[in-house]
Amino acid sequence: MVAARRPGRKRHSQPASDRLLVEAAQADPSKFEALYELHFELVYFFILGRVQDRATAEDLTSEVFHKALANLSAYESRGTPFAAWLFRIASNAIADHYKRAKRELRDDDTLDPPAQPSISSKEMDFVERHAFLFRLVEKLPEIQRRVLYGRFIEERSIKEIAQHLRKSEGAVKQLQFRALETLRQQMGGRHE
Amino acid sequence: MSKRSPVEELDLAVSALLAVPERRPVPRPSPSVARLLALIRPLRDLPRPEFKARLKTDLKRRTSMNQAASSAASVKSSQFRRENFPNIAPYFLIDGAPKFIGFLVAAFNGIERIRVLRPDGSIMHAEVAIGNSVIELGDSNEEYPPRFMTTHLYVPDADATYANALAAGATPVYAPTDNHPSGDRWGEAKDPFGNTWYIATRKGWVPGPEGVLTVQPYLHLRDGHNMIPFIEAAFGAHITGLHESPDGKVLHATIEIYGATLEIDEAQGKVEPTQSYLHVYVPDTDALYAQAVAAGAKGIKPPYTAPYGDRAATIADPFGNTWFLATYLGPEARQ
Repeated sequence: MVAARRPGRKRHSQPASDRLLVEAAQADPSKFEALYELHFELVYFFILGRVQDRATAEDLTSEVFHKALANLSAYESRGTPFAAWLFRIASNAIADHYKRAKRELRDDDTLDPPAQPSISSKEMDFVERHAFLFRLVEKLPEIQRRVLYGRFIEERSIKEIAQHLRKSEGAVKQLQFRALETLRQQMGGRHE
Repeated sequence: MSKRSPVEELDLAVSALLAVPERRPVPRPSPSVARLLALIRPLRDLPRPEFKARLKTDLKRRTSMNQAASSAASVKSSQFRRENFPNIAPYFLIDGAPKFIGFLVAAFNGIERIRVLRPDGSIMHAEVAIGNSVIELGDSNEEYPPRFMTTHLYVPDADATYANALAAGATPVYAPTDNHPSGDRWGEAKDPFGNTWYIATRKGWVPGPEGVLTVQPYLHLRDGHNMIPFIEAAFGAHITGLHESPDGKVLHATIEIYGATLEIDEAQGKVEPTQSYLHVYVPDTDALYAQAVAAGAKGIKPPYTAPYGDRAATIADPFGNTWFLATYLGPEARQ
């Protein structure tokens, strides 16, 4: 397992470190975990940016990493970062997802797959900003992280979270405030 | 009204954003709280925390399963399959195999690469490469009578391939269209031997590392939804795409078995069930034969070492398909 990276580091500009990890995983697939840890959020947010739905993004992220693992022996760097290879698998998985949805809904034209397989700078910006936030949240104290996940992902009320964590509602509100304030400071202007 | 603390003010605004019904009305937040609220939308986009951990566990399990399978077979995973044999090959047993080879060559730019004859001159085994895949065939006999099979071809130009197929004697079912529910450009034709060919070109897709095989067997199965638990248990198969109707029928599924794929759907309406012959390379034929029989397959021919250097066996699944299992033992095993 690799150590957690510093938030904000632009991974797609570091193919040399990718290459070593890829070679290790090609020789021993159990080392694929390091590549997974390094690229999970990039793939997830790339997909989320295109499908706009968390459940679908999770399904397709799973599909992408399973395909990447199954086809790792076929990967050749050719100077491009490993993330670009994953994005290409993801683009195809998204295209297939839209086709399946279209098949289910019998030819709904609104479900045509995205035309462009490449990633635009706007998309890359979305991926980088969200991945950065994801890494910051992972670094928060566990209790703050649990409040944020409970509040914003599970959409629980303060009362429910307080009961779950055995804290007062006031304490949970304080934790929510401190967590958001910490993220705001560390994000700088990236989230605005 | 007393002035709220930033903590209370934030929670009030968050509750409003999350639309918790009991929290109203919502005053305009102060600038400092508004800056915090800008984080809410991206936070709601985060993946569920358990998802990342669960996927990691799945990947680790898959890695260890693959390694165990390879280890049991005493061969590296890349070696259990013959070179240039990437897919689950449909194995056509045809009354008139030489003419069928001619059809594959003319219709699909097939390249005949092996032809082994019986003493009576009939074809015992032949292979025709199409694109990046291979089709196998032989003359049918009493033990293995002809079957009408369905095969999915992914080609660079579905219209050109469709036209070639018709010129080679196929009967049109429908010409390639952009309106196929799959979203691909897709046509259908029947060959002179009664087999169905789906001829497709993928849209919204670029050649990727995960690859698309030119030839994929396509099974129409009665009670096809039962195939998925069977094939997972029998082959350790991985369902890479599943599209179900609300009542649980399989409208389409893509199934991977040791890196090779096939497609299935539920035979219903005008779609008649098919029974196919399939040839698949696996890491350990002996282990897989036992596993498949335990999962409900019928053993037809127990594992044996074939003179051409494969460890081979034959089973029938509960849907009437015949599976020729094989593990390539390397050139030294050839007799």
